[in-house]
Amino acid sequence: MELRGFLQKNNNVDDKSRIVGFFNDQQPKSILTRDNEPDSRFRRTETDFSNLYARDLLPAKNGEEYTMQFLLEVVDILTNYVRKTFDRSTKVLDFHHPHQLLEGMEGFNLELCDQPESLEQILVDCRDTLKYGVRTGHPRFFNQLSSGLDIIGLAGEWLTSTANTNMFTYEIAPVFVLMEQLTLKKMREIVGWPNGEGDGIFSPGGAISNMYSVMVARYKHYPEVKIKGMAAAPRLVLFTSEHSHYSIKKASAVLGFGTENLILLRTDERGRVIPADLEAKVIDAKQKGFVPMFVNATAGSTVYGAFDPINEIADICEKYNIWLHVDVRLANSVTWNPHKMMGVPLQCSAILVREKGLLQGCNSMCAGYLFQPDKQYDVTYDTGDKAIQCGRHVDIFKFWLMWKSKGTIGFEKHIDRCLELSEYLYRKIKNREGYEMVFQGEPQHTNVCFWYIPPSLRLLPDGEEKRQRLHKVAPKIKAMMMECGTTMVGYQPQGDKVNFFRMVVSNPAVTSNSSKDKCQCYTIMPIERNDVVGKTCSVLHKTQT
Amino acid sequence: MASHGFWFLGAENATGNGSQSPNTPLLNVGEAEKTAQAQVKAEDGSTVESCGCNKPCNCPKATVCFSDLYSTDLLPALDGDAKTMNFLQEVVDILLAYIVESFDRSTKVIDFHYPNELLQRNNWELSDEPETLDDILISCRATLKYAIKTAHPRYFNQLSTGLDMVGLAADWLTSTANTNMFTYEVAPVFVLLEYVTLKKMREIIGWQDGRGDGIFSPGGAISNMYAMLLARYKMFPEVKEKGMSSVPRLVAFTSEHSHFSIKKGAAALGIGTESVICIKADERGKMIPSDLERRIIEAKQKGYVPFFVSATAGTTVYGAFDPLMAIADICKKHDVWMHVDGAWGGSLLMSRKHRWKLNGVERANSMTWNPHKMMAVPLQCSALLVREEGLMQSCNQMQACYLFQQDKHYDLSYDTGDKALQCGRHVDIFKLWLMWRAKGTIGFEAQIDKCLELSEYLYNKIKDREGYEMVFDGKPQHTNVCFWYLPPGVRYLEDKVEKMKRLHKVAPVIKARMMEYGTTMVSYQPQGDKVNFFRMVISNPAATFEDIDFLIEEIERLGQDL
Repeated sequence: MELRGFLQKNNNVDDKSRIVGFFNDQQPKSILTRDNEPDSRFRRTETDFSNLYARDLLPAKNGEEYTMQFLLEVVDILTNYVRKTFDRSTKVLDFHHPHQLLEGMEGFNLELCDQPESLEQILVDCRDTLKYGVRTGHPRFFNQLSSGLDIIGLAGEWLTSTANTNMFTYEIAPVFVLMEQLTLKKMREIVGWPNGEGDGIFSPGGAISNMYSVMVARYKHYPEVKIKGMAAAPRLVLFTSEHSHYSIKKASAVLGFGTENLILLRTDERGRVIPADLEAKVIDAKQKGFVPMFVNATAGSTVYGAFDPINEIADICEKYNIWLHVDVRLANSVTWNPHKMMGVPLQCSAILVREKGLLQGCNSMCAGYLFQPDKQYDVTYDTGDKAIQCGRHVDIFKFWLMWKSKGTIGFEKHIDRCLELSEYLYRKIKNREGYEMVFQGEPQHTNVCFWYIPPSLRLLPDGEEKRQRLHKVAPKIKAMMMECGTTMVGYQPQGDKVNFFRMVVSNPAVTSNSSKDKCQCYTIMPIERNDVVGKTCSVLHKTQT
Repeated sequence: MASHGFWFLGAENATGNGSQSPNTPLLNVGEAEKTAQAQVKAEDGSTVESCGCNKPCNCPKATVCFSDLYSTDLLPALDGDAKTMNFLQEVVDILLAYIVESFDRSTKVIDFHYPNELLQRNNWELSDEPETLDDILISCRATLKYAIKTAHPRYFNQLSTGLDMVGLAADWLTSTANTNMFTYEVAPVFVLLEYVTLKKMREIIGWQDGRGDGIFSPGGAISNMYAMLLARYKMFPEVKEKGMSSVPRLVAFTSEHSHFSIKKGAAALGIGTESVICIKADERGKMIPSDLERRIIEAKQKGYVPFFVSATAGTTVYGAFDPLMAIADICKKHDVWMHVDGAWGGSLLMSRKHRWKLNGVERANSMTWNPHKMMAVPLQCSALLVREEGLMQSCNQMQACYLFQQDKHYDLSYDTGDKALQCGRHVDIFKLWLMWRAKGTIGFEAQIDKCLELSEYLYNKIKDREGYEMVFDGKPQHTNVCFWYLPPGVRYLEDKVEKMKRLHKVAPVIKARMMEYGTTMVSYQPQGDKVNFFRMVISNPAATFEDIDFLIEEIERLGQDL
């Protein structure tokens, strides 16, 4: 091959001989093509790892065979894990207390030593790590807003780790940078900004995305803050709903506004911001000589899943020239976490900004060693200086690949199904004995918030004693769920409301099951079953079988 | 299928590169090879054409035809089990082939294309309709085809290079576990591994009994921001509630060679970039302690409050280590928080031979340490370590009751989420922990020592070689070797100004050619009044002495006509 000839003159003989036997001259073809020769596929063979160490793997000389066998062994562990995760008879978790795990479980010790462990031990570590972990992909895991394990997304993550690159420049992540641009544009189109115009970036999570939005808003109103600090601006105030995510509060502390200057807005009984309250508080702040700068409206609050009345809020923001964050069309910026409702594997959060160039202006520091202006390609693709990070993990590929595989309609279906399921849950329990909803009316998102009142409490008259006892019910049931590993649901208090369950459905595995009755089994049944305080797990298991 | 199209474009595009290249006239080395390359691509294209699952062939996957399957056929679909396993097996095959290829010196580091060109090479667009699994696999292959082979032994472009096999396996496991670091409840094992590993790292720093605090963050810039945040909170806790208007004007100090993230942090935190005072560095890039003290006193006289000194252990460009002992003395004297940005150089603590370069780090209040750089852990693995316990918690906590319920049945001190700026946090710990288990401390040490040995070899090789000039004198402290290559046409120029002007253009052109040919990748940059020079860094465990020799030959080959 001519190409080889050109490159080979720079290689010494030793290097050439390292090209592996099972992967010789057909190599470029098998990378690019469908890999059709049966013998070019990687097959697992019995390998004794007890005398092998990390130093025997690539880039070690002749390390290819061992490396392939080691990785295939790991993949075998992982695929078995995936298979079991979707099996409903598997436990969601095998709970142990921190001190139990720290002391070491049946040979699983966490200590780091000076001397290396054999690859055999490393494989055991992998198995144990999965064994004692939580199966977030399990159809009965409802604990967090991000749940479920998407196979395409998983494949995307594996590829991302293998490519192991960084998002800062086009130079070192050409494909991923382009994908990010295309995907962000598509997201802006869906948000409804004309022609998908605007800016955006993927960040390490919703909290950082929200922080970006506050920073950009500040830069828009007072660009001098970047150089001179908050001292250059008057006292700025931010507004958010009392039900909003705590990340806005964190952002106000970090960015130097102070949490006192974050004004909480009252909400109605469904958890939605009352626009009149916003306007009143804006006027009040102005009279005190403060400058209202930022309103965070919530589309799907963390606890109730409420949607704030965006149109009315947008009107107020326009009237007083305040930056509106979150939600469709009218907003200046939007946080969108595909790792939640869309089922993308973790760490995939985007911040979209309507005005172009603002992110760059706000965050750029023009580091000479990364962003050389005299590169041979169009350096507008070097997106790194827009970020507050330097190196940035590639979070785009899994999302892009999932979008490819599902299409927009696939995501739509998934989301619709989750909402349908939560509606089903809502209907099922709203009139059921022993259940009480935290707020009335159908939930706007997949959040269903409710109290389960055990029989012993049902007859108690309303009052402090009942409240106190009800407050303890959810933690106890949750603890038992974890001990038994049957399912996991979140709970929490809110304001003057005692601990209640917050059930969220974002797991596609739940939806895929044809029988909705099963959904009931996962959620309602365990809660009732665990009800009798003091019942041990073993007893529970007996009653189950 | 339209998406197959890009396999056949090879021949046209390889020769049509010039259309978008601003540097076309400069990139005319070895046109002959280019044409040869195009032919090979055409051959490849035809082989692809001969096989499609729809036609009869000896394809082993005749049993599973991905062109009829969609993602909805995979788990959790009923009967999705076998299909899922087959699909993942196929993906793994692609990845393993890529790995073997990456370590093979005869493959290109990069198959470079200009953005517009790359956009046309595959159907990257997202549509409403789903694509078949076959298309998905093709997208995976295409993505890897145009990706940089960061594991390639001749990839020297960034501070984080190489691909560790145990780290990779661990990262695959992490994505499969797909959980979040916020509470012990959802990530019991990972939370404990983070606890164990951070303690170990603190012991290595030299803090007594490994006491203190710390967190893994999404990168060095965020870690540095954490440090600045903590320093501010330590001095003025009221800033959390009342904001910057409640405190006097704060000033931070760092060397002029330090990383730009310190300024980014100051801008974000509302301190302002103007309040970051750049301390002079000596000709080797080390902060001059006397200048630091002078500037601190000066700031105090102006009524400002010095609150933060960021010393750098391993600067990005020169690889210089600031004199930590002297800086610690000054910080103590003036009661200022001392942070050590060891994102790049911190890993030298793992080496008994080189850790003296960080003497004094044990006196710091906080330290950034990125195992994803010198320790070659796969990307996103950066730690911030803090000497004082409890500070992170009180600085960052907001007590979100939906996550951190106080009435849980286990020891709540393991719910680390409220310490973080983030809410959800990616699991970055497992790959470091597993690599540490697999290599032991001595394994990391050997790896680091070898990289430093290689850079010394490079330094010795070029310091007296004709046509090379070092950016600064003396043996480099880290693996950074900064140098100019002067092509014969520039070497003997009398006119100093003209010489500098032309030298400034040499590195960008050589780099562009390297990328066109895909043989190797090295970074370049200007610094202050110094024109563009090469910054060679070695963190790639796959690199050998031969690769260093190759680099020198390649620079000369690509630059001799300039």
